[in-house]
Amino acid sequence: MKIEQAIVLRNEQIAHGIWRMSLVAPDVASAYVGPGQFISLLTDDSWDHLVRRPMSIAKINEDEVDIIYKIFGDVTDHFTKKCPGDSMNILGPLGNVFTDYNSEFAEPILIGGGVGLAPILNLYDACEKAVMIIGARSADEHFLNHKPDNSVYLTTDDGTAGIEGNVLTALKNMNLSENTILFACGPEPMLIAIQNYADEYNIRAQLSVESYMGCGVGLCQGCVIERQNGQVMKHSYHEKYSLVCLDGPVYECDEIIFG
Amino acid sequence: MADLSIKIGHTTFKNPIFVASGTFGYGTDNPELVDVSNIGAIVTKSITLNPREGNPPPRIVETPSGMINSIGLANIGVEKYISELLPIYEVMDTPIIMNIAGSSITEYIDVMKKVEAVSSNIVGYEINISCPNVKEGGMEFGVDCEMTEKLTRELRNFTDRLLIMKLSPNVTDITAIAKSSENGGADAVSAINTVVGMSIDHKTKKSNIYTTYGGLSGPAIKPVGLACVHKVFNAVKIPIIGIGGMVSSHDVIEYILAGSCAVQIGTANYRDPGIAEKILNDLNDYLDEQNLNSITSLIGAVKTYV
Ligand SMILES: Cc1cc2nc3c(=O)[nH]c(=O)nc-3n(C[C@H](O)[C@H](O)[C@H](O)COP(=O)(O)O)c2cc1C
Repeated sequence: MKIEQAIVLRNEQIAHGIWRMSLVAPDVASAYVGPGQFISLLTDDSWDHLVRRPMSIAKINEDEVDIIYKIFGDVTDHFTKKCPGDSMNILGPLGNVFTDYNSEFAEPILIGGGVGLAPILNLYDACEKAVMIIGARSADEHFLNHKPDNSVYLTTDDGTAGIEGNVLTALKNMNLSENTILFACGPEPMLIAIQNYADEYNIRAQLSVESYMGCGVGLCQGCVIERQNGQVMKHSYHEKYSLVCLDGPVYECDEIIFG
Repeated sequence: MADLSIKIGHTTFKNPIFVASGTFGYGTDNPELVDVSNIGAIVTKSITLNPREGNPPPRIVETPSGMINSIGLANIGVEKYISELLPIYEVMDTPIIMNIAGSSITEYIDVMKKVEAVSSNIVGYEINISCPNVKEGGMEFGVDCEMTEKLTRELRNFTDRLLIMKLSPNVTDITAIAKSSENGGADAVSAINTVVGMSIDHKTKKSNIYTTYGGLSGPAIKPVGLACVHKVFNAVKIPIIGIGGMVSSHDVIEYILAGSCAVQIGTANYRDPGIAEKILNDLNDYLDEQNLNSITSLIGAVKTYV
């Protein structure tokens, strides 16, 4: 885990409201463990926005670290103003990783929705073979192509690209086996739907969750998610709640309960 | 180079830059990001008699130049503090101040008695009578002079180590609580804990914090902290440890001018766990530039108009 003044290499809009930033960050890149990990970025040097923003790593290429972000507030709006050569203060790599995606017999299905596709794209690069489903509301929010022959499926709510419906619509039409493992990241309602589906059909699923983080390194205890099988005793510590920054962001779907 | 050492009660610290309770864990995390040996003292996360899981999420939200938290005193409890942490502190160079929270006088006493019963190198206690986020956080003490004095006096009986009462800004008159702490036998007071605040999402019309209200911290509360320290400085003789919104050596100097003899860095640690050390270096440079050989002459030296 390092704090580094990274240099912006590229920062461009890749689809409607969705941006991709490439940073030169040798320290962070050299400490990278695997897909699922994230970095935490400062808006700028002022203290107006003092909390770092966690963003999943979308790609690591030698000393380059890529993130994909969506504009959802003035902080992310700030990010879009960064130009090549500007610096960004980043902390990372943080968090745990997806597992078993290349284990023998594994048949991974990767599911990304909204900006949740960043860690999914990163994982896709690391998979020897995988099916990938990416969901969005409409075609203009997609930057990949629907290529069923290559096992890349897009879905849109309005049917303007790929399969009409959501990622679950696509998933339900797939042949699943006992070796299927789902890997998903996206908005909470999507993750809940996948959690329910995996539970119903007894499929293993790893979910990468988002949480509001104060520090990203376990100091503030702010980013908790409720554990499913935690011993909920009158007095417990980290048995009922897990720290997403240290224990996550990737959880087996039967480990956690969404709020 | 200036002599940065300071004395509070009969305890000497190598420098006045401490890290605040709840913002640095138990002082044993993140060795990659920070060398704790340069920190004046680490005030550890509030410890209660039993472990606490804390409040449901959301617990944190950013606000203009600050953040609101409602962690709910999640902590490992005193037994684990004794068995797992005290042995680690034994081999650390950095002085440890243990922060205690409780919901009754007996709970505070029970925690302190357990720690006093074993041998350890912790240098003192900071008593949290000011956590706004849980009813067990001692706020009922922190707003009541009689209770504060009684709690301080009781605790004084059980320890010769440094005893610091941590004051809340969420009171009508912070000087009254400070005086009660002094009368009860505290060696020092620290101020301030977080300021009660609220954050609402206008789009979803929802509260951004599970418990509705939480504790505001960060640069947004610096002016509140400065005023509290200055008022308390004019009201009591015991030393004051300033807390609230410091992110730079300039902020620290302002807190010293307001009357602090030491300070605690809080929320700024979240952004950079190594910031206390940087602030310390900058403070050193400042004193050199000003040809001062210690901070003593600056304590409470603010020039006011009236
Ligand atoms: C997330 C968080 C947790 C905190 N937990 C505690 C605590 O357990 N006990 C305590 O006495 N103060 C606690 N505090 C208060 C800080 O020690 C400090 O008094 C306050 O944050 C103001 O300083 P700052 O503006 O530099 O953060 C906490 C503050 C934050 C932000």
